[in-house]
This record gives sequence, structure tokens and C-alpha cells, in this order.
Amino acid sequence: MRLLIIEDDPLLLRSLTAGLREENYAVDTATDGESGFFKASTSDYDCIILDGMLPVFDGWELLRRLRPIKRTPVLMLTARDAVPDRVRGLDAGADDYLTKPFDGEELLARIRAIIRRSSGEASSEILLGEVSVDSAARIVSLRGEEVPLTPREYSLVEYLAFHRGQVVSRSELYDHLFDENEDTLSNLLDVHVSNVRKKLGAEFITTRRGHGYCIE
Amino acid sequence: MNFLFHSVRWRLQLWHALILMGLIAAVCVLAYRLAADERRERIDRELEAFERAFIRKVWELPSDKPKDGLPPSTEEIRQRFLGIDDASKFPLELRDLFDPAATDRPYLAYWDGEGKVIYRSANAPECLKLPAFPPADVSQQPRTRGQFRELVRVGPRGFRSISGRDVTPDRTALKSLALQITAGGTALWLVGLLGGWWIAGRAIRPIDAISRTASRIAGGNLSERIDIAGADNELSRLSGVLNETFDRLSASIERQREFTADASHELRTPLTVILSEISRGLKRDRSPEEYRDILENCQHAATRMRSLVEALLVLARQDGDPKGAPRSRANLADIAADVVDLLKPLGDERGISIRTELAPAFFLGDSQAISMAAGNLLGNAIRHQAPGGSAVISVFSKDQKAILEVADTGPGIAAEHLPRLFDRFYRVDAARGSDGGHAGLGLAIAKAIVENHHGTIGVESVVGEGSVFRIQLPLADSTVRA
Repeated sequence: MRLLIIEDDPLLLRSLTAGLREENYAVDTATDGESGFFKASTSDYDCIILDGMLPVFDGWELLRRLRPIKRTPVLMLTARDAVPDRVRGLDAGADDYLTKPFDGEELLARIRAIIRRSSGEASSEILLGEVSVDSAARIVSLRGEEVPLTPREYSLVEYLAFHRGQVVSRSELYDHLFDENEDTLSNLLDVHVSNVRKKLGAEFITTRRGHGYCIE
Repeated sequence: MNFLFHSVRWRLQLWHALILMGLIAAVCVLAYRLAADERRERIDRELEAFERAFIRKVWELPSDKPKDGLPPSTEEIRQRFLGIDDASKFPLELRDLFDPAATDRPYLAYWDGEGKVIYRSANAPECLKLPAFPPADVSQQPRTRGQFRELVRVGPRGFRSISGRDVTPDRTALKSLALQITAGGTALWLVGLLGGWWIAGRAIRPIDAISRTASRIAGGNLSERIDIAGADNELSRLSGVLNETFDRLSASIERQREFTADASHELRTPLTVILSEISRGLKRDRSPEEYRDILENCQHAATRMRSLVEALLVLARQDGDPKGAPRSRANLADIAADVVDLLKPLGDERGISIRTELAPAFFLGDSQAISMAAGNLLGNAIRHQAPGGSAVISVFSKDQKAILEVADTGPGIAAEHLPRLFDRFYRVDAARGSDGGHAGLGLAIAKAIVENHHGTIGVESVVGEGSVFRIQLPLADSTVRA
């Protein structure tokens, strides 16, 4: 899952980025409205974490400009907890609203919920035949037994599970599993896919040659 | 009962009632007295005329004394009066004198010089006595004796007469007149009271409207204003003044609200950092380096909160009771030199050269506070320009003002920012937290301090050339004593 954090406070940006990377999200950052809008409108993120008060133009303005071109889920973070501000944020197209100061765990849970909802899942547990993916606990089980996966492998399974039945292209997977700073070798994805197949069964991920990967 | 005296309308009404009652009573008493006097005088004239008519008639009666042209003798007069006995010789209007039952008609009595009754009309009351001599210089004197009004006359040779009348009917008439006047006066008073009540009500009505509006405002509806459409009078002027006061109050409350929101915003961000870093740190075991990194982040955030809280405290103190601060004579040049010493290391670190042009200029006030204001200006000049720039701090006195100027060679400030530059939490560049300063409070603090010293703070700026911040304080009267 790839996130974009738009936050002008350097300390908070650093803290959030570190926290989310530790949760195995691919994280991009922006520190003002203009660069945030540029990144949000040119890449496909699974979720954007948007601060309200930003230089150049603020979070509400960014949402107003972004919504006609992108449906990326947006979680707004702001210190303004007055009801009109929250209403304004939600009406402008934010999917959720979190007021500072917030708890790190709550932020993670809300990000998970937002990503799940945007993929059309109602529950955090997805059943795929004999394999089940618990996106809250970040655990994958095969016939009830937990299967140890590396964070990247888990992210790959989770992303494909959220898009099950669809063919996900390699570039899309690269976009969502790696952040902008990672210089990815093109066969890294193949390595992850083959490791997942070893652990969960060769037919768990099918390859559509020339198109991408798919979980049926 | 108490509320009557706490209501302007009731008090107005009470005074109005008292004054109106006094006036009406005075008019009524005057009218009654005039009527009573007039009636008494009429009775006196009537009695006089009656007596003359009687005398004239007595002398017209046929007599056996020859008409010799000599004035009648005493004996002759006595005989004439004693000889009155026949009512038929008298005209109709005098005949009641011979009727003992006609007690309501005028009566007459005459005495000779020796005090003997020479005539007493039949209708005269029993109690009629020889009158005492009136004072020597009057020949005739009216008097009231019980229910009778009498005219006492003294003639030549000691003859005395009384003509009188029972005035009971006149008194009854006067009493009824008094009753009528009282009734009329009371009615007038009541009408006056009603009118007064109405007028007082009309005068009070705008006050009621004002008080209702004011209590709605006190209840929290700050946008409410008193309706002052209509006449230009004392009350509408008062309403205008009140409305202006409400405007200023609500603006200041609005500013306070914004300030609180901004302050909480500025405090929430570092607090979020601390919370998020702590929860990240607790999540799993880490290497000491990672823990150190997390703790350093927390420390940064906490330091920012501390400087913000300190700035807020300074502002609160400036807003609160500035008179509590120590006031003494101080040299602005000394303060500027101290500030430069303090900030020189920061300037060196950032590659900014600081020059001073200091001439003594004394002011009266809290030198520590002024030093903080000057420090904020110089600190801004150092922080907001690229390395290689310079800052000039100068102090001089001019036009009874002690002036401190801080000029920089920074990027300057665009004109659109200048009006709000000294507002709390206002930032030219919305980026936060990077400069470790006062979170947009430095200039606001300087302004509050300078204004508490009855001074002014201002800025001139040219984009691309730099800015000059200027503090002007009232010059202390003598710069000799320090």
C-alpha cells in the first residue's frame, strides 16, 4: 500500500513517515499544498494523509482541486476541531477526519479502514479459498495456520486480495508497493511473487502473461 | 413595594403625581379663596346698602317735627328709631325686619350713645349685643360672629348700629363649591396621571428595547444590535454609543477566539508529534539509536511547546496588568547593545553581520520587556535573510521620542502582508516550526509591549531591498538623571 503524507510541520512529517514505513507502507511526502497536489494528481495512492493548514494553498483547497480528477481516499489531519471545519473538510471530499492530537494506533486503524472501504471490502478479513488475509492483524493463514510472510510479501498478497478477480499490472504493483525513493529492480516483484507461491501454493497467484498478476 | 422605587417609570410617575397634586391643590385653594372672599365682600356691600336704605326710609317717615333745616338732635333721632313700629310704611324689601320668622334675612339693631337699644328688628337673633367700639379711626367694620356676618357702624354722638345676616346658606354654597373644586381637581389629577404614565411609558420604551437587546447580547448573541432607526435624540445617541461598544466587544471576542484557536493549533501539532513518536517507540523493541532518535523528536516537539507557552505567557502578561511591571528610567541604547551581545552568536552562525548606531535615548518603562521586543525584531532580521546579509540596529531621539530601528537587507515583505504583520500567529510564509521562533508571536509580543509603554511600532519594507522595523517610545523628560 502506498501513501502520500502532505504535512508542513517537519517534525510531524518525519514522525508519521517513520511510523507508517514501519507498518510496511510505501510512503511519499510533500510539505506544501502545491507539491502535494502535484504528487496526488500524478500518482495513484491508496490513501492520502492531508494536513489542513499548508503553505501555498491549504488542505481544503487541495481537496477541491483534486476531487474532479482523482478519487484517492483522503484522511484529513488537522488541529481545527470546530464542527464547521470538519464539515468543510468532509464536504470538500475528505473520506475521514482526524483532529490533532491523535493516537498513532487510531491513525493506523483509520488508514486501514479507509483503504479497505475504498476497495469495497466491509470486513478486515478476506477469505480466498483456503487462504485468509487479516488486514487488521496483517496475518495471512493457510488452512487456519499462520504463514510467515515478509512485510513486502504481505503487502503484495493484501493488494492482490483487495483487487481479487482483477488483473493487476506489474507497474500498478510497483506503484503501490514501493515509494518514490526506492530504486526498484524490475525482477524484485518476480522474486516476491515466487516466494508467496512457495508459501501459499503455486496456483494462489496466477500470471497473465503480458498483463500482470491476479488472485481468483 | 421596593420595585416601585427601582423603576424609573414608577419614580417618574410618583414625582409627576406629587408635583401635579401640589399644583392642582394650589390652584383649587386659590379659586376657593377668591370665591369665598368675593362672596363675603358681596355680603358686606349688601349689608351696607341694606342699612343705608333702611336709614333713608326711617328719615323719610312722616314726623311731627317741623322741617327747620337744622340737623336732628340726639333726642329726635332716638324718638325716630323708637317710633318704628309699622311694617306697612316700609317697602317690601325692608318688611322682613318686622317678621320674627325671617331669620335668614338681614337684620338691624341701633344703640344710642348711652348704650340703650333704640331699634332692634324683629328677626334679629337673641345673642345680638351692644358692640364694643371699633378702633377710633374706623367708622365701620365688618365682622364674622358665629354663623353671622355683621357690619358694625359708629355714627356721630355715639350712635352705633349693627346690620347683619345669617350666612349659613352662603357657607353651604361655598362648601358645595369646595366639593366641586375638589372633585374637578381630583379628576384633573387623574387625567394628568394617566397622561404622565403614558408619556413616561413612551419615554421608557426605547430603554426597555435597549435593555432587552443588551440582555440578548449578554446571553451570547453577539451579532445582535440595538435598532436606532428613527429620531435623533438622547436615547438613539446612547444606543449608537452602545452599538459601537458592542461592535468593539464582539470584535475583540472574535479576535480572542481566533487567538485561542491558533494557540491550540500551534500546541496540538507538537503534542501530536510526541504522542505519535511515543506510540511508535512502544510498539516494538528497538536499537538504542532508534530510541534516541524518537526521544530527540519528542524533545524537539516539547521545546517548541515550551517556547510557545512562554510566548503565550508573555502576551497574557502584557494583556493583563502592565502597570504591575516595574517602571524605571532606562537607556534604549544600553538595551540595544545588550540585545546585540545576546544575538551576535546567532548572527555569526547564520552569516549575518550586525552593526550598531547607538545614541543615548531615555524612556520610562520596563527595560526587560523592551529588551524582549528589540530582541524579537533583531532575531527576525537575522533569521529572515540569507547568509551574507546585514542587520543595523540604531537608537536615537527625535521629536520627544526615543526611537529604535532595526534594518535588514532581507527579502522584504510584500505590501499585502504589512497590515496584518503584527497580528498574533500571522505568518508571511505559512511554513511552520522550522525557525524555532515564537510561532508567529514575536512581532505580536513586541507590539503588545511597545503599546503598553504608550509607544508605537511600525515597519517599512521594500521587496528585494529589506525592511526597517521602528519602535518609538515617549522620551523621558530629562536625560541627565539616569
